[in-house]
Amino acid sequence: MRSFEYRITDEAGLHARPAGLLVKEAKKYASVIRVEKDGKTAEAGRLMALMGLGIKKGDLVTVTAEGSDEEAAAEGLEQFFKNNL
Amino acid sequence: MRDKKSGQVFAAAQQIGKSLFLPIAVLPFAGILLGVGSSFTNETTIAAYGLARVLHPGTLLYGILTVLADAGNVVFANLALIFALAVALGMTKKEKGVAVLSSAVFYVVMLMTIHSLLVLDGSITDGVISANVKEGAIESILGIQTLQMGVFGGVISGLITAMLCNRFYKIQFPPVLSFFAGTRFIPIAGMAAAVVTGIILYVVWPVIQNGIFALGSVVQASGYVGTFLYGCIERALIPFGLHHIFYLPFWQTGLGGTAVIDGTTVLGAQNIFFAQLASADTVRFSVDACRFLTGKYPFMMGGLPGAALAMYVTAKPEKRKEAGSLLLSVGLTSFLTGITEPIEFTFLFLAPSLFVVHVVLAGLSFATCHILQICVGTTFSDGLLDLIFYGILPGQEKSNWMTLIPVLAVYFVVYFIVFRFFILKWDLKTPGREAEGEAVHLYSKEEYRQSVAGGKKGKEDRKSALILEGVGGAGNLEDLDCCATRLRLTLKDGSLVKEELLRASGASGVIVKGNGVQIIYGPSVTVVKSNLEEWIERGGEDTALQDGGVTAEAQNEKGGIREENRDQEGIRGEILAAPAEGRILLLSEVQDEAFASEALGKGIAIEPSDGSLFAPADGVMESVAFTGHALGMVTPQGAQILLHVGIDTVKLEGRYFTVHVTEGQQVKKGDLLMSFDRVAIEKEGYLCTTPMIICNTEDYASITVLAEGTIYPGENLLQTESHAGS
Repeated sequence: MRSFEYRITDEAGLHARPAGLLVKEAKKYASVIRVEKDGKTAEAGRLMALMGLGIKKGDLVTVTAEGSDEEAAAEGLEQFFKNNL
Repeated sequence: MRDKKSGQVFAAAQQIGKSLFLPIAVLPFAGILLGVGSSFTNETTIAAYGLARVLHPGTLLYGILTVLADAGNVVFANLALIFALAVALGMTKKEKGVAVLSSAVFYVVMLMTIHSLLVLDGSITDGVISANVKEGAIESILGIQTLQMGVFGGVISGLITAMLCNRFYKIQFPPVLSFFAGTRFIPIAGMAAAVVTGIILYVVWPVIQNGIFALGSVVQASGYVGTFLYGCIERALIPFGLHHIFYLPFWQTGLGGTAVIDGTTVLGAQNIFFAQLASADTVRFSVDACRFLTGKYPFMMGGLPGAALAMYVTAKPEKRKEAGSLLLSVGLTSFLTGITEPIEFTFLFLAPSLFVVHVVLAGLSFATCHILQICVGTTFSDGLLDLIFYGILPGQEKSNWMTLIPVLAVYFVVYFIVFRFFILKWDLKTPGREAEGEAVHLYSKEEYRQSVAGGKKGKEDRKSALILEGVGGAGNLEDLDCCATRLRLTLKDGSLVKEELLRASGASGVIVKGNGVQIIYGPSVTVVKSNLEEWIERGGEDTALQDGGVTAEAQNEKGGIREENRDQEGIRGEILAAPAEGRILLLSEVQDEAFASEALGKGIAIEPSDGSLFAPADGVMESVAFTGHALGMVTPQGAQILLHVGIDTVKLEGRYFTVHVTEGQQVKKGDLLMSFDRVAIEKEGYLCTTPMIICNTEDYASITVLAEGTIYPGENLLQTESHAGS
């Protein structure tokens, strides 16, 4: 299992649009990817769940990847967060 | 059968008469303004009495009088339009406002149709009326040169529009055209009918006008009898506006006599009189001219006020006060100014037989004045003002006005006795004698019978019964209204609402806020509302519920769906309803790459025209964005639906969005999920385009858009099919 922490810098937080893009990104990998905030966890493949986390600017999120390509997944997603969030 | 038919015609005529009470109320006031104003601004009057120093164009008093006269005159000049609106108002059973609006449309379209035809046949060229057209046949009404039809044109407009409204106000069309259904169809149908009516009148009316014109020579040839006929015909033609074409030749052309006054040849009765009034050499006014002028004084100053008194004394005691104020003002108007429309239209339609009596007495009035050689001239009508100017002030030698006084007294008594006699004998429904609410009562009874007959009507009643039951009965209703798609109700107690019944009535959504309820039916809501109103008026809620046992039936239906849902596991296909009202956009048309590229999933978008977002299906709210602009829900069939109001609206940080649901809440199709201030959002520079995305698109074999163009909440919009094929 690989994981990284990221503090959201985007003004709008993880709203519908980037959440959708995140879902798309997460589906590139075979690993199960989860996003956690304040003890609540959501699968990155489920847009609804991601949105349900209510992630805002300044929130610290933990992203985990577990599976055969977890390394590539963690790297790819970290890049995604930096670029988009 | 014939009896029944004539009874209906009679009832309709009475209804028209009652409809006219409203506009008639304004006429006395307009009449006084017109009478006083025009008497004192008449050039001949001013010249004859040496008032030119204080009264001439440019003086303040002249200005005031001109304004008063014009203000009064414009009411009479547009009496036909006013009648068009009033008849539509009075003759329509439901949706009266729609009928009034449609009647205005009908009237102007009809006038313009006739105008166009008159231009095409060369009767009017560049606004100039051809010399071949008889004087008084074409007149400018509302700035439209058209055939002079008097109030007849307005009454026709009102009647046809009311008929269309009574017949079609609940008409239904296929969904594509549903915006134009119900009341919105009435002005459209009215326009079409107006063009046809205009064409018919264009053909028929000139034939009638020519006939009337030809009557003139008969009158001229036949002495006292001719004068009698002149009086009768002139009066009888007033309701049709045909009197102008009849009397104008007598007043203004050689048909009304020729005289040489002060060395000038003068043609026409009125011209002769005024030439004599202005001439210092006149010893006696011309009897041959005044036979066409004086005859109106007896019945206008004496007769009609007597008729008003007769109506007053025959009114029901409890209604005498109310009827009295109307009758006093219309009687006084006739006496003072000789403006008789107010009183004549008071009884013309209510009691046409009285009008016939009136016509005969008017003829006799002309003949009497002719025989007694009374010569009092007139400007436009025969009231006290004209009597003073053209009878009393010129002097007894010239006008023989003193003989007129006993005639007036006799006419007052004759009219009083004759009117009182016929009103009592025929039990005429003159003001203050109408049976309370009679007509309304008859209609509802008939409709009730129709509803019992069943069929489509029965189905509608079931719907109304369900709605009424669903909002806690008629007793719980305070107010009933509708907008484009929703029935809006105000209740005494909002907690009595039974949503399942309202849904069973065909509602696609129900919103309860305190004691306010909004029930969404889509654009056919006007029909639902009309039906419900009638249903409530009939007070027939119990019967329908007993008939079909709808309550139980509806609950079973509902239960059935629930069970079905529970049985299903995994992803199933379903149909999603439109979540908002507006224009449908394909995702590729959405101005946001993330949506347009279908990166978030397949779906559809709506450019909303209203600020409400509704659940497209039953389901659970899974996520509510803290910024309020996006909602996620999951249906029992497994669809993960994202509703995203606006493009980039996350930047508004929740402003203008009000979410009505919480995460984890169960919602039903049509529930109001969110309100947003569309105008404010657009003002801030954001689009309100609302995509509805199936986030788990990959779980489905296909997602199909079912509609295009404009859609309303609750209408089918998107169909999903699972891989299993359901």
